[in-house]
Amino acid sequence: MHLPKKSISILVVLAALIALPWWAGDLYKLHLAALICAYWVLIGGLNLVVGYSGQLSIGHVGLLAIGSYCFAILAGTHGVHPALAIAASGALCALCGLLLGLPSLRLPGFYFAMATLAFALIVTEITLAQGTLTGGGVGLAVPGFAPPFDTPRGTYWLILAIAVLVTWLTWNVARHTWGRGLVAVRDSAVTAQAVGVPVFRAKLTVFVFSGFTAGVAGALFAVLQSYITPDTFVFDLGLFFFVCIIIGGRGHILGPAIGTIVLTALPEMVAPLAKLGNFFYGLLLLAVVLLVPEGIGRVFELLIERFRPRRGESHVVKPDLDRLAKAIEQGRAQ
Amino acid sequence: MFVALITGLATGALYAAAALTYNVMFSTSKVLSVTTGHISMLGGIFGAWFISTLGWPIPVALVGAMGIGAVFGLLTDFIAIRRVLARSDEHLWLLSTLALATMVQQAAGLWWGTEPKPFPRLIPQDFSAGLGDQKYWLPIVIAILLAMALELFYRRTLYGKLFVAMSEDAFAARARGIPTGRIRSMSYVIAGAMGGLAGFAAGQLTFAYFALGLTLTLNGFIALAVGGLGSNAGALVGGAALGILSAVATYFVGGEYQQTISVGLLMVVLLVKPAGLFGSQSVRPV
Repeated sequence: MHLPKKSISILVVLAALIALPWWAGDLYKLHLAALICAYWVLIGGLNLVVGYSGQLSIGHVGLLAIGSYCFAILAGTHGVHPALAIAASGALCALCGLLLGLPSLRLPGFYFAMATLAFALIVTEITLAQGTLTGGGVGLAVPGFAPPFDTPRGTYWLILAIAVLVTWLTWNVARHTWGRGLVAVRDSAVTAQAVGVPVFRAKLTVFVFSGFTAGVAGALFAVLQSYITPDTFVFDLGLFFFVCIIIGGRGHILGPAIGTIVLTALPEMVAPLAKLGNFFYGLLLLAVVLLVPEGIGRVFELLIERFRPRRGESHVVKPDLDRLAKAIEQGRAQ
Repeated sequence: MFVALITGLATGALYAAAALTYNVMFSTSKVLSVTTGHISMLGGIFGAWFISTLGWPIPVALVGAMGIGAVFGLLTDFIAIRRVLARSDEHLWLLSTLALATMVQQAAGLWWGTEPKPFPRLIPQDFSAGLGDQKYWLPIVIAILLAMALELFYRRTLYGKLFVAMSEDAFAARARGIPTGRIRSMSYVIAGAMGGLAGFAAGQLTFAYFALGLTLTLNGFIALAVGGLGSNAGALVGGAALGILSAVATYFVGGEYQQTISVGLLMVVLLVKPAGLFGSQSVRPV
């Protein structure tokens, strides 16, 4: 059986990720990997909104918070089965995404960004105000997953599976008509409308989808944190998701994935960066916007193009001499 | 109830000042900078630092705070606006100003500390003045003065007319020989000085607090969008409406839902009258 190069590399990466608990070493690194996957569940969905359709949502942390609290309240306080609670968090956040998107997606760029920022602040306000439901400033304890997934390894595998599923879903959306339509909306909404892309509906659909993934990510995130307070969901976290996508490159899937991994792991590995925190993210964002607005992914593409000899460019002309000679002879004979 | 009204009006005046700052920068560059609130935050923090720590006299500290604001405005133009506008991609200025705002906020937090610190008294006054206290009327007076000065500047001076020309049509202004790049830098310097002044004047109301910037960016923008983009009178009205509404709502409902209510106001206005109360209709997209 012949497999193309791309499928082989995808399979190798998948195998390495599944085997991660054995080669990661300690539990902390495993936890970090699970956290990256949970972030990716959100960022993968957000990527369709920010990277593909160009709607700059900086407040997705609000949806993450709603998902986390929904999971904590359902699974913790009311004892609902965790799998059901995850689905419920996703559904609730998809609904919130719909309610947020309906008015705000009609607004132009800066207005939309401000509306999502305001949404994130409102969610924090409400979680603090509704103390009886969310525990207020004290917070809530979050239960783990159901038995096969309650060990660190099981948790990791479950989150990894969901992350792979989300990647597959977004990849399917991105490479077909939908993805092209979204890119057209990002680059010129007027042109997109003129060629028949339902601009508002396309934007709303991916926004609701990103709400769903944010809700699921919220549930996973809550389990990893094991205790959530309103302070867990600071606005900086929303900025972090946003920066991952912009740095990775808009209109890619691999770029933001690498951005997520690097930006999550880097502050954990290099202690001084953790102290600088937001300053570091801001600096990175500024550098990327000013130097390579297409994102780091574009830099790699350019490098690859430069160093790999291009195929299909040599056009060797091979004249069919026999046929030519025959044609000439025929011409003489006539 | 009356206390709530006065507090709301004073806070609203600060939002109005932020909206005016937005307006000045928007008029020449068509950019709504995320750093707007952070200018005032710097004005407040540096004002408190100049007076309390360095012991400068108050007028010198005022000039210093305005100078810091002006320098930051110029830096915003230099780092985040100029190159991005030259490349003319629609969304990039949002990202670059957001990045700059984040860096400034974090740097201020690291240097100044994350706790709000008190702002010194500016005018000798007894603390028993109650509602006549300077922390209420100073921001209100400053906001009104700023709006009036801006109107005079736009109508009476040559440079003001250049601003108006650029806001009408930057391309045509350039064709008429106006150095649009320099005028834009100048507008950012003026906006910076205005923001610094507003932050300094409202320092006693807000305290010198590093996270003020983002709140002010958001609320100033709400005031601007409610009043109408580009209108100075609209900025005043929008700020006052926003401040009073959230204060009254706090009085009746409780302080927990302040943000929710202000955003509710924004949504209602945008649904009913998308251009804002005093704004002009936006241009057709094609």
